[in-house]
Amino acid sequence: MPALNVFLYMFADLLTGHAIFAVYLFIIMDEHGRNRLKKLPVLLLSPLTVSCIAPAFCTDIPDNSILHYCLYSCMILLMCTLWVQWAWRFGFWQAFAAACMAGIFQVAVSSLCQVLSLKLSVPLLQCSQFAVVSAVYFAVVLSTSVLLYRLRFGTWFRLLLMDEGNQRRTALLLFALEAAMETFLLLQSGVRSDYLAQYYFLTLVMAALMTGLVIHLAQRFEAARQLEAQQDTIARQQLYEQDLEAIRQEVRRFRHDYKNLLAGLSQAAANGELDQLRASLSELDAGFDRRIGEKIQVSVQIGNLLIPQVRSLLLTKLAAMGEKGIDCRIEVLYPIKKTGIDVWDFVRCLGILLDNAAEGALETETPWVEILLLAQEEGLSLRVSNPYTGTIDPDKIWKESFSTKGKGRGLGLPSYQRILSEYPNAASSTVWTEGVFVQELAIRGGRL
Amino acid sequence: MISIYICDDEEAVRHQVKTALEWKIFMENYDMEVVCAAAARELLDTLKDNRRNIYFLDVDLNEEEWDGFTLGQELRRRDPHGTLIYITGYGDLAWKTFQYHLEAFDYIVKDGEQTGLFAARCLEAVHARLQDECRDPAEVFSLRAGDETRHISLADILFFETSPKPHHVFLHTADSRLDFVGSLNELEARLGERFIRVHRAYLAAWDKIEAIDWKRNKIRVGGRECLLSRTGKAALKKRVGESL
Repeated sequence: MPALNVFLYMFADLLTGHAIFAVYLFIIMDEHGRNRLKKLPVLLLSPLTVSCIAPAFCTDIPDNSILHYCLYSCMILLMCTLWVQWAWRFGFWQAFAAACMAGIFQVAVSSLCQVLSLKLSVPLLQCSQFAVVSAVYFAVVLSTSVLLYRLRFGTWFRLLLMDEGNQRRTALLLFALEAAMETFLLLQSGVRSDYLAQYYFLTLVMAALMTGLVIHLAQRFEAARQLEAQQDTIARQQLYEQDLEAIRQEVRRFRHDYKNLLAGLSQAAANGELDQLRASLSELDAGFDRRIGEKIQVSVQIGNLLIPQVRSLLLTKLAAMGEKGIDCRIEVLYPIKKTGIDVWDFVRCLGILLDNAAEGALETETPWVEILLLAQEEGLSLRVSNPYTGTIDPDKIWKESFSTKGKGRGLGLPSYQRILSEYPNAASSTVWTEGVFVQELAIRGGRL
Repeated sequence: MISIYICDDEEAVRHQVKTALEWKIFMENYDMEVVCAAAARELLDTLKDNRRNIYFLDVDLNEEEWDGFTLGQELRRRDPHGTLIYITGYGDLAWKTFQYHLEAFDYIVKDGEQTGLFAARCLEAVHARLQDECRDPAEVFSLRAGDETRHISLADILFFETSPKPHHVFLHTADSRLDFVGSLNELEARLGERFIRVHRAYLAAWDKIEAIDWKRNKIRVGGRECLLSRTGKAALKKRVGESL
């Protein structure tokens, strides 16, 4: 049965390749949870399909090994991409980039090790030669994995994937690198034994350069993002300072007036006009409280938010809502130093909730939005509420692309849920009662 | 007899509130008594009868160990159904936080001689509410959401659903969806006859089931749709048979 032998040989070959691909994929995705491991068996479909289809190709297309190789590789890459897309719930380009990256490492390792089995001219028994090659294979995979882990390559790569503007560009670049690596693998059959060392060296350098390139890109993206956040913070801080300035002015005016007021009061006291005294006192108190109380309230509460990114977002949204005529109230009882989940994820969640709240509130006659943030030993709790009109269909609001406002809107709640699905320590509840829509997010403890 | 506790650093305020409340109780002939007016530590030490007391607490306690909020939390822990009323010096208190996280009933602003009057008015409102509550002692389902415990009346629950997130469960009522850590198996065992497991992912309130669509494998529970599995069907049929 030659057909079966071809099939088995190919399947075994592809299976090793996929196993190594999976190892690298988990490393570069910085994956710690066990949930994705459960999805791993589905990846078996890829070698299975390819090794079933491959022999059929061989007969149809004239014998052209390079063309065959390209076809298999593209098929495998596509199937791995689909798997990544499914397992991590990524978009296509993100998944494609991840598959290419893991592919680069896998192909590099294959070229390093397969060339051994081809060129090893030591007169060994075939069996022990196989053992040597497998041992080298294993050692290379293990050492590079540990090295990548130590370099925190996964964190950087995840960061690069998050760069939403450039996902396609990153994916195509990684695909080009992957293709280059594949070419190296093909080249090995033409390497003469005496150039083995050079081939080895070149492959290693290529892989190292690619790793370095990805880390560099990620670092550049991170730097750009930080710069943007800083500029935003500065812009918003100015608004905050304007408020403080207004308070300062008011206090100065009060200081100027209070001597006169006191003179009037002591006059009234001297004359024994107790009622008048009481009336002026309460008037004084109420006036001062009303004029600056509101501004102090917001400033004090915002001041308790010690995370710049969150504060910046909140100031931006508060300013935008203020312009639209939404009455905002914010309470931050205790200082907030950490969010318990990734800060940027928290910022995205908060942004979605505030946008939704503003949108809902604007449809009512007296729009208001209320934000409560409470930090405690056990964790952080966020509560955003707003009034709404109309009815809410609980079966639909969490579904993709549903909105009472028609197409293109209402993408908020599903992506909010998708962000939170990564965090078992976060629980989000929704309450809509007596015309008020409330979103609550409770985050326990935290790993950050 | 309902006990009233007052906690404020200032002796003058404590005295004022205490006198006003005692006068109100005497005038209206309420079944209440001011047990203790003291600082936080002393209050916690004397707190013995832990059921449905009324507390008047200062927000800005000048104590290292406690502030108004944490004292409120401690009291909530010891007396989950007590009534909390806050006394504050300023109008800019983070009141909503107190309201949502401690279920505080109301707050009064310190305003010279008026403080006592406000306290007495507040007591009147508390008394009215307690009268209402006595009439319907509802069975509640308690769940921990984040750092606090929530109580949902059992009669309001439509169904429980497994969340896509492992170990998380959604509780659905007509106007909310609450997320908490739990499992349907454990809930099914705990809640007993009132609920029926209609699907691996759904536990529905028996008395809220409105319609059963045997063909499309769905049931309507309080206007909402749940999935129905084969074992769920069998359980339903058995239960329907029993209740006929």
